[in-house]
Amino acid sequence: MKEITTNFLIGRNRFAKTITLPSVIILVITVIGPLGFLLYASFFDWSLTIPAPPRFAWFYNFGLVFKDARFWNAFKNTSVLMIAGIITQSILGLIIAFLLNRKFRFKKLAITILALPIMVTPVVLGFNWRIIFHEHFGPLNYIIRLLGGAGSSWIADPKLALFSIFLVDTWQWTPFVTLILLAGLQSIPRQVYEASDVDGATGWQTFWRVTLPLLRPMFVLVILFRTIWIFKIFDPVYILTGGGPGITTETLSLYTYISWVKYWKVGYTSALALVQLIIMNIIAMIFVRKVMQRRRA
Amino acid sequence: MKKGYLFILFVLALLIFSSMMMVAQGQTFNNVTITAFCDAGHNALPFEWYADAFAKAGIKVNVVTAPFGNVYEKLKSEFIASTGAYDVIVLFPMYLGEFAGMGYLKPLDEYAKKYDPRLDDVATGFLKLYDYYGGKLYTLPYDGDVLSLYFRKDLFNDETEKSNFKKMYNKELASPETWDEVLDVAKFFTRKSGETLAGKVLDSDFYGFAFLAQRGGFAFAWWLAEFASRGGKYFDKDMNPMINTEEGVIALQRLVDILPYCPPDVLSYGYEELKDALILGRTAMCLQWPCNWKKGNDPAQSKIVGNVGITHVPGVMKDGKLVYRAPMPCGRVLAVAKDSKYPEAAYYVAKLLSDDFSLADVSSPKTGLDPFRKSHFNNPAAFSEFAPEKEAKEYLAAIANNLTYGFPDLSLPGSAQYIDVLEVNLGKAYTKELSPKEALDATAKEWNSITDSLGKANQIKIYNELLKGWKEVGLID
Repeated sequence: MKEITTNFLIGRNRFAKTITLPSVIILVITVIGPLGFLLYASFFDWSLTIPAPPRFAWFYNFGLVFKDARFWNAFKNTSVLMIAGIITQSILGLIIAFLLNRKFRFKKLAITILALPIMVTPVVLGFNWRIIFHEHFGPLNYIIRLLGGAGSSWIADPKLALFSIFLVDTWQWTPFVTLILLAGLQSIPRQVYEASDVDGATGWQTFWRVTLPLLRPMFVLVILFRTIWIFKIFDPVYILTGGGPGITTETLSLYTYISWVKYWKVGYTSALALVQLIIMNIIAMIFVRKVMQRRRA
Repeated sequence: MKKGYLFILFVLALLIFSSMMMVAQGQTFNNVTITAFCDAGHNALPFEWYADAFAKAGIKVNVVTAPFGNVYEKLKSEFIASTGAYDVIVLFPMYLGEFAGMGYLKPLDEYAKKYDPRLDDVATGFLKLYDYYGGKLYTLPYDGDVLSLYFRKDLFNDETEKSNFKKMYNKELASPETWDEVLDVAKFFTRKSGETLAGKVLDSDFYGFAFLAQRGGFAFAWWLAEFASRGGKYFDKDMNPMINTEEGVIALQRLVDILPYCPPDVLSYGYEELKDALILGRTAMCLQWPCNWKKGNDPAQSKIVGNVGITHVPGVMKDGKLVYRAPMPCGRVLAVAKDSKYPEAAYYVAKLLSDDFSLADVSSPKTGLDPFRKSHFNNPAAFSEFAPEKEAKEYLAAIANNLTYGFPDLSLPGSAQYIDVLEVNLGKAYTKELSPKEALDATAKEWNSITDSLGKANQIKIYNELLKGWKEVGLID
């Protein structure tokens, strides 16, 4: 038995290697494999609409991506959603976290209700909001009309459609931001505030000089997660507008999806997906590096 | 040895007995289970309605559905992966060229000889356009689609409205014959909440017209209606796009001009929204599929029962003569997947739905299926369950007339891509991001790229075959 094990596993910590091997195999099959295929396919002019074999095309597909106006439109829409979403959700999340960080009756119930949107399945969420936004039967327009307004075509008006998606995203993910920031607030030791009081700091100074700096790690976490998630936003866009009217709400994920399952452009879509992966990695690396530098400082 | 003979005799006896039982029960198949695929909603209902009839033939049918807008990707994914997940498939004829060309479907000629689907009863246009590819029978028709103009008879017959219209335009109020008239009538009927319409004070805004603009729902056909009437074609014989010609630009400008007289959310209208806009009493007219009439006359669904007028699609005047072409978007056909384990049983189910049960299905307001057989058009009594036979006759005559002047979908490899690009750019024109000319020029440029990427020579060959077929049935000149 000993001989077999020795032959099979070479190294100092055989036990550790043995138990990590299945994970490595799964990782290779599920992550590295598809990524390798993506890279491979991105170098081919390859369509599944016609019975023609793939043709090696060097960097042709990558060139197409950067020349594609629809890619830049999707990039712009995704960036708008990302910037607006992160700023709004962070501010709202912080305000609600402050409100929840006080003692009051039914606090636990309030937190549970607040967390509900995070738990809603994206498809259910999309359909619910489709009903809410409905021009004629939707409760949102009904309320606006009761208040004397005219109501709007929330998802059909090209000027409002992207804003409507931003609203849905903010509704669903502000609670997540709130909960993380609330956890941050609750982890700040009381003594820090007491010391700030003794030093004669005003409420605003305490907030600006004590609370916010101590919440920075939580903000980093929230912004990193939200950046990645909004970059990948798909479900609400697909269900609410399908990228329309025109392509006014088409995001990168949706365009990638269409390019694959509607156009069956295997090579081009692979390049498109790789470009996004690279962009996302650059954003994440810059972000993490900045944070690490601040920490070291 | 003796035991061996006895065993063989026993097995033979068992086989003969089970065959006799099958015959006695009227079973054609030996209790096979097949899977059917259909777009979700009312058009998948017949698979459930006739479960007993299928079972009687020895077939159990499991039905899998996907949303209307996802049929292409769902089917294509399964075909590429050769999963053999589906046996009998309901698909849109637009994809026939690609699916049959890629070898995903099984030719049905052999089965059609065994179980006659009565193809001579199928309306000529549908049969040639929907069912054959490369001279072989690949599908059986399930739903015949052509656009018609629907209007509110009560509004058009109202004396006050007629008199006001005459004062305003110096002509009689009638269902519009041309696209110019559509614009006038749409403008006339568009009213604000609080204004009067046919003697009643409106409690919400009312609009003159509505059309389908949601990408992925055959929205291009609403632009095609005027484009084709003006003599427009998708491509010339060399696959150079012809959509950005004067005909295309005028047709697109028309829809842009008509937008102020449509409900404000019209750009998000798919089939359901467009249907509801008319039958729930929010618009005076719309261009729609034939089932609109059935739904509009069903008290369970409609607020305008008895008032659904139907006529030919609007056209244009050419040399003093009215010319119109009715787009034939969507439609549904039944096909058998090449990877099916039970192709004969799958075909048999397709045949029952396409022929035996079809009259009941196309005349039911519960489905969105529309007439496609001569026997449907000649049977107005079948529709009298929910509408007077006289009106059913008018309805069937209007559809038959539109079919005579039909204009087909583009059924090439890559159709989904060509059409998606077109609909994206139509959307850009509706939202005023691009002018109609810019939108169609952009489409033409992208169409050229698609053609090149799919192999221009092969696309030219297939397109010219399509043109030949369209000419044969008189759909193009």
